[in-house]
Amino acid sequence: MSTVAKARKAAGDRLPLIDGIEKVSGSARYTADLDARGALVGRIYRSPYPHAEILSVDISEAEKLPGVVKIITGDVCDMTYGVIPVAQNEYPLARDKVRYCGEPVAAVAAIDAETAEKALSLIRMEVRELPAYFEAAESREPGAEELHEKKAGNIDRDVHHEFGDVEAGFADADVVLEDTYDCEEVTHLHIEPHAALAEYDPHRGWLTLHSVTQVPYYVHLMLARCMKMDTAHIRVIKPFIGGGFGARTETLNFEIITALLAREAGGKVRMVLNREETFLTHRGRPKTHIRLKLGAMKDGKLTACQAEVVQRGGAYGGYGIVTILYAGALLNALYDIPAVRYDGYRVYTNTPPCGAMRGHGTVDVRFAFETLMDRMAGELGLDPFAIRRRNLLPPCPTETINGLKITSYGLPECLDYAEEASGWKDRNGADRTVQGAPHLRKGLGMGCSHYVSGAAKPVHWTGEPHAVINLKLDFDGGITILTGASDIGQGSSTILAQAVAEVLGVDYARLRVIANDSAITPKDNGSYSSRVTYMVGNAAIDAANNLKTILIEAAARKLDAHIDDIECLGEVYRVAGSQDPGLPFNEVVIEALVDTGTLTVKGTFTVPKEFQGGKHRGGAVGPSMGYSYAATAVAVTVDIDTAQVTVDNVWTALDCGFAINPLSVEGQVQGAVWMGLGQAMSEETRYHEGLPFTANMLDYRVPSIVESPGIKVKIVESIDPNGPFGAKEASEGALSSFMPALAAAVENAVGVRLHETPITPDRLMDALIRKRRENKRAASKGAA
Amino acid sequence: MEPLPQFSILHPSTADEAARMRAENPDARFLAGGTDLMVNIRRGIERPSAVIDLGGIADLSSVSMAGNGDLRIGASVTLDRLIEDESIVSRFPVLVEAAKQVAGSTHRTMATVGGNLCLDTRCLFYNQSEWWRQSNDYCLKHRGEVCHVAPTGKRCHAAFSGDLAPALLVLGAEAEIVGPDGTRTIPLADLYRDDGADHLTLANGELLTAVTVPAASQSFVAGYEKNRVRGGIDFPLAGVAVALRRDGSSLAGLRVALTGTNSFPLLIDGADDLNGGTVDEALLDALQKLVMKQVQPMRSTLTASNYRRTVACALARRLTARLFAQA
Repeated sequence: MSTVAKARKAAGDRLPLIDGIEKVSGSARYTADLDARGALVGRIYRSPYPHAEILSVDISEAEKLPGVVKIITGDVCDMTYGVIPVAQNEYPLARDKVRYCGEPVAAVAAIDAETAEKALSLIRMEVRELPAYFEAAESREPGAEELHEKKAGNIDRDVHHEFGDVEAGFADADVVLEDTYDCEEVTHLHIEPHAALAEYDPHRGWLTLHSVTQVPYYVHLMLARCMKMDTAHIRVIKPFIGGGFGARTETLNFEIITALLAREAGGKVRMVLNREETFLTHRGRPKTHIRLKLGAMKDGKLTACQAEVVQRGGAYGGYGIVTILYAGALLNALYDIPAVRYDGYRVYTNTPPCGAMRGHGTVDVRFAFETLMDRMAGELGLDPFAIRRRNLLPPCPTETINGLKITSYGLPECLDYAEEASGWKDRNGADRTVQGAPHLRKGLGMGCSHYVSGAAKPVHWTGEPHAVINLKLDFDGGITILTGASDIGQGSSTILAQAVAEVLGVDYARLRVIANDSAITPKDNGSYSSRVTYMVGNAAIDAANNLKTILIEAAARKLDAHIDDIECLGEVYRVAGSQDPGLPFNEVVIEALVDTGTLTVKGTFTVPKEFQGGKHRGGAVGPSMGYSYAATAVAVTVDIDTAQVTVDNVWTALDCGFAINPLSVEGQVQGAVWMGLGQAMSEETRYHEGLPFTANMLDYRVPSIVESPGIKVKIVESIDPNGPFGAKEASEGALSSFMPALAAAVENAVGVRLHETPITPDRLMDALIRKRRENKRAASKGAA
Repeated sequence: MEPLPQFSILHPSTADEAARMRAENPDARFLAGGTDLMVNIRRGIERPSAVIDLGGIADLSSVSMAGNGDLRIGASVTLDRLIEDESIVSRFPVLVEAAKQVAGSTHRTMATVGGNLCLDTRCLFYNQSEWWRQSNDYCLKHRGEVCHVAPTGKRCHAAFSGDLAPALLVLGAEAEIVGPDGTRTIPLADLYRDDGADHLTLANGELLTAVTVPAASQSFVAGYEKNRVRGGIDFPLAGVAVALRRDGSSLAGLRVALTGTNSFPLLIDGADDLNGGTVDEALLDALQKLVMKQVQPMRSTLTASNYRRTVACALARRLTARLFAQA
């Protein structure tokens, strides 16, 4: 061997996603593409009623239809499911009541789609209709019918937190401002509709489920619970999936229904939901009403914050408790606020259940907060950037009043970038008009945001580590990274490969990632709350270090040297400082396998106790080992004739600690900003008596490429002391900075500040007309 | 995606044969690009026993010029071809402008002129799945008794949403119709009636085969502006076509047509009364009044009808002013 390559730097490498080739070439197989030979077609009969007591479900006519193999109803499963152990109030198939239009009531397994469809039309449901509520305010009214037992006022969960002396804070303030804000409900719109493939082996009593989930482990647990099966008899596999964004961070009804059908039919069932059903399965961001109050001194320093948040949660618990807790907990940790009071209400309504969605719980509240911050700046004659700089957190490490530990904080650098790149300093006094286009106005706005790098406390407290990685090294010299972490397009498998490559210094080609097969890969809690890079990344580093120790020991034996003298150059191990050609990797492996055979090495990561949050009720939501920070500036053009907003440019800086893969980070930030853009400008789910008006991709207006501006991304690296190579999350934090920045840019352009999202042309037009009337009235008063 | 139900496909080779097939199968549907029909079939709004594929009728897919200079566009000409056609680009660019704003680029490779003109009317209560409509007791337009847009009324308020119709209307286009009794030609405006549930005046067995744009309309400058939330894909919330002629400093001819606001493409009545004056604020105010009075957006979309009315007026004003300056 003539040359000895220096160990490569894999961490920080702009590596294209390692599963990208399959995706762009079309060879990736998603759940609906899997081998369905011999599978029955599953379809779900859904409630046409928003709220009703079920008197009977008659499947007798449908059962007679030739080609129908099995029909099941709520009778087959008397166990509830739900991601939060204390809020499992949903049956896979409704039993006593239906609580939203579209709730599954029965399911058919038939020989083909046409037969299954025909069978659905023969099912008869007899009900006693109940009063239905489609808005949180209706549900909360005195005397309203309770959707669930022992839930007075239809409150799923109310949260009342006070940290610091809020009353004193407002009393001391020079200025106190208060406003209300309303954000419509949105949904994830992952491009791949829901699908599951279940196979039941009646001879062994084994179940195998392939599904589109972000959380195979939770699905595994729920299948065992609802089907009363031993977890050992279940295998859950997640193939390629086309997006998640939080929709799939809890077990969904169709997954359990498909498995139940397969068991009842004694075979294989393929269930592919259509787009409307995917909308109905929902778990999106709830419609939210916010009342927010801020107090500040003349110099802009905040003295107190008070927020009341009401979320229209939909018909069931789902992740709702976490959503309403996040909304309050992350009022903190972006700015230094000495006193915060939070009152949150997650309300049951007869609409599809809400749940986790990118930026879980924080997005709408951030819209309100940043909007009021701008108003405060205006009242005090301060620049929006200046008031935020006045409220930066103290130097790290620091702790917020609600017990969140901040170990790295790149917000100042994010602000600097957004201000400079957007040409902010020229904003004041800038000409808002466009030459030759008298109907156009230009505007510039900004906003900030943050998010957790994984929830410090897991949903199920089992005492296990937060993350486990297995590495398998065999005679062939290939290293297999075995992980339960779900790559949902965010690039987690790529990051794990980079982490292992960085520690061991080996070529990428030596590494394979095998993920998400409960029979093969170690358990992982799943891909949510931006936990994977931080937690599983750290576990991968630990595993690689453990493997490296073994390889160094083997090299030392072979080279007859002390382990401290062995230098690992990745593909070559040698005695440090020697002129030796050293041992190629494969020879080190042969030595390492002597007497032991195949190596299986483990790495783990556990969040230290002190990071797991305060003792107060609900204190488990919010704590994280690292927080990402973002600042966004948005430039818009508004057409005052049509009230249409065009986003011309977006500049976003994100402090992700360290970019293990800058290419991937940029893509994640752009995706987050773009998702914020959709909610800010055009996306909303609307209902007619509980029926979804917008359960298709024409009426649910996700931005098309025409509305998608260039998004410039600046990566800020604050190097978190505990993150893998200093990294924190990168996929969610930037999202919620967009909505307030857009509203600010619109205000800068046309002088009206919207407190509602999405800022659709009709909403903006109303505001413009209101303003013109007010101006006219003021002018006529002035003239008089 | 819902599976397609069973139906047979008929392949006529002439328009007469197509008309005969339709007359014999009243529940059959004509199929051109299928971008509207197939979606409706999948949703169970249409359940034809047969579709009559117009793709094989050569006569329907050509653009030609008559001896007198009139332009004839076959109903099966795709929007993509229309956009590329030199004679249309040079003589009637407003048609290109309108066609380019229909749906998305891939739709336009399939969608046809005839399909866009005969586009089914649209409504939030109608363009939904079978499960949805059944859960809502259907609606006046299809299987039901009540129009959910205006439950106390007796009519259907689904909105016409084609982009080509207003552009063709302001050019004074005529529709060529083949039926069991032969061919007839009518003003394009007469192809429509003000009824969302039955907006086409075609009799059973009749088929739109072409539109003809009179050569004389070349003396007009014309334009089309479409309002929608998204710049791609969306149907118009309000679409406005204007054609005008200028004689020195005064207006010598004005036609204004709208789509997306009524159950049919609306040619504004009384626009010609504005001729003679120059295009100033007073004239634009008068035009706005005409539009305001005649457009009838209802709650057939999620976007508030008041907004659609306001925008229809704003676009009519703006387009008229721009075209006058340009003429």
